[in-house]
Amino acid sequence: MRFGLSEAAWCGRFACRTSDIIIVLHSSAFDWTSCVAPVTVMATATSRPFEYLQSLPGVTLRKLYQQPSTALAIFRRMLPDLAKCFVMALLYLQGPFPQDDLETWVKSESKKQRDDAIDILKRLSILTHPNPVIDKVIEEKTEREQGGKQKKTVRLPAYQVTKEFARSLQQALMGSENSHSFGVFSQGPDQTPVSIADLDDYARRQWEGVLGYMVGTDALGGLREVKLSNGVKQLLQAGHLVEIRDRRVDITKDGFGFVLQDVNTQVWHILILYVESAEAIGMDSVEVLSFLFLLSSLELGQSYEKRHLNEVQLRTLADLSDFGIVYQDNPDAPCFYPTRLSTTLTSDSVALSNPVAGSITGPIGTSSGGSTGFIIIETNYRLYAYTSSPLQISLISLFTNLKYRFTNLVTGKITRQSVRRAIEMGITAEQIISYLLTHAHPQMRKHNATYSTSNASGIPPSVLPPTVTDQIRLWQLERDRLRATSGFLFKDFSAFNEYLAPCQHAAEIGVLVWKSDRRRMFFVTEHKQVAEFLRSQNRPQ
Amino acid sequence: MPRAVRGLLIECDPSIKAMILKYDEERHDYIVEDLDDENHLVIKESQLQNLKVRLDQDLDEKIMQLEESESE
Repeated sequence: MRFGLSEAAWCGRFACRTSDIIIVLHSSAFDWTSCVAPVTVMATATSRPFEYLQSLPGVTLRKLYQQPSTALAIFRRMLPDLAKCFVMALLYLQGPFPQDDLETWVKSESKKQRDDAIDILKRLSILTHPNPVIDKVIEEKTEREQGGKQKKTVRLPAYQVTKEFARSLQQALMGSENSHSFGVFSQGPDQTPVSIADLDDYARRQWEGVLGYMVGTDALGGLREVKLSNGVKQLLQAGHLVEIRDRRVDITKDGFGFVLQDVNTQVWHILILYVESAEAIGMDSVEVLSFLFLLSSLELGQSYEKRHLNEVQLRTLADLSDFGIVYQDNPDAPCFYPTRLSTTLTSDSVALSNPVAGSITGPIGTSSGGSTGFIIIETNYRLYAYTSSPLQISLISLFTNLKYRFTNLVTGKITRQSVRRAIEMGITAEQIISYLLTHAHPQMRKHNATYSTSNASGIPPSVLPPTVTDQIRLWQLERDRLRATSGFLFKDFSAFNEYLAPCQHAAEIGVLVWKSDRRRMFFVTEHKQVAEFLRSQNRPQ
Repeated sequence: MPRAVRGLLIECDPSIKAMILKYDEERHDYIVEDLDDENHLVIKESQLQNLKVRLDQDLDEKIMQLEESESE
């Protein structure tokens, strides 16, 4: 029985890993010296976890990599394709691999992608850094002794996959691990099995509860009360997504941006906040993070044993169930279920049909999927939103003066005051416009498409009335009268030629913001490289 | 000998620049370098918030606002 179960799990895991396996086969054939570099495309929606991982010191990363589930998740989700190829090619090698040889795998026109891939691998401590060197014996003919050969040892830079990462990824790929790194299925029949639909419902409800809390749905009398624990509220506050002023919850600029993101990005955002705050409540952040990666490798609709989890993991589990990321009957239940929010963390599939986009708590039913726009804006700034969702209504009311509310419709007007109010709260004009655009009613798209084909002026069709979007931007500009760039002003050059070279150098490396040839001054965002350049110029003289 | 000075490069309308110059005349505590063109100058990094608040206040007072009609 046990074997059957775990084998099924393996099939499942392998099924979603076919692309990785293909790479394995490729690398074992090992004749891609003429290989065309695959286009490096960063996996989407991973920027935040990726940035976070990058900021960790190498020691921490290597500690993380001790878990096969972590190594696999990072390999699958965080690396560009070319970097995956490199890892796979190097994974099963015994020793370091010469840098020059690896460079021949990639065509010279793709040098940038290669360097990027190597750079990412080094920053994530997947390749050992600093580079190991290998000694290579080269025989070269000397001119003096004709025909004679001289042996010479050269030290070549080389690449090697970090020991911890290599071992864990090998284990994950070959299934030789037995450290419960991918969770342990519950034994025996569950008393009350939970269906996938129930799990989705639970996850959606909890997550919307979190979003609803942020935008202050309570004020409008939310239809369904979701109880949020204090931990959740504190986390949102610590992450500067909401601010509490006079016991009133106010969404911040970050918070508004957060609410408009897709669910997967939102979940990662919250999880990283959670990891960052873990130390403060006495938990090891590395352990929490690697538990998150474990959760992401679990299978939806399966229940997992809690017996094998340690203190920190159990605590994390309890906290995450508040967000709907995992489900457990009660805190003392012997097993838990991952929800779609956790199982899609490191895969490409969509977590939930965007709760912001879908009809949420409305009595009409579930979202039909696809585009679910419901907002109509007229050129006279009037706004009609066909929704009954308290979450949507409170989002709209952040930047609109709402006037009437019907069962399935709210109407109002976007005014200078309402936009100014939003901007004072830290919401940007672009955020408002992108929100309106995302949720524009299909009728608006249709109308403007037909309108734009009839005018041949070459102006790209816009879904929203340009007068309204321009005016929203102008209202913001009223407040935003200056643009500030932090950096360094270089001045006091004695001669024009002395000024010109570093200025050009700054432009080349992309740090130049402003220059004046007449006054021999220029402004850069980063001074180190320019200062070094200046020094290197002065030295030979 | 060339020097590098830390600061914030401010890009704004000539009218705003004129206001900042006026603020600076009082105690010379804003500007690091006046860049002599119409819409750039370098100010002290610590003064940005203060400057923004002051500008907003003055602008709200000075700029005439159209009365917003809420007629339907």
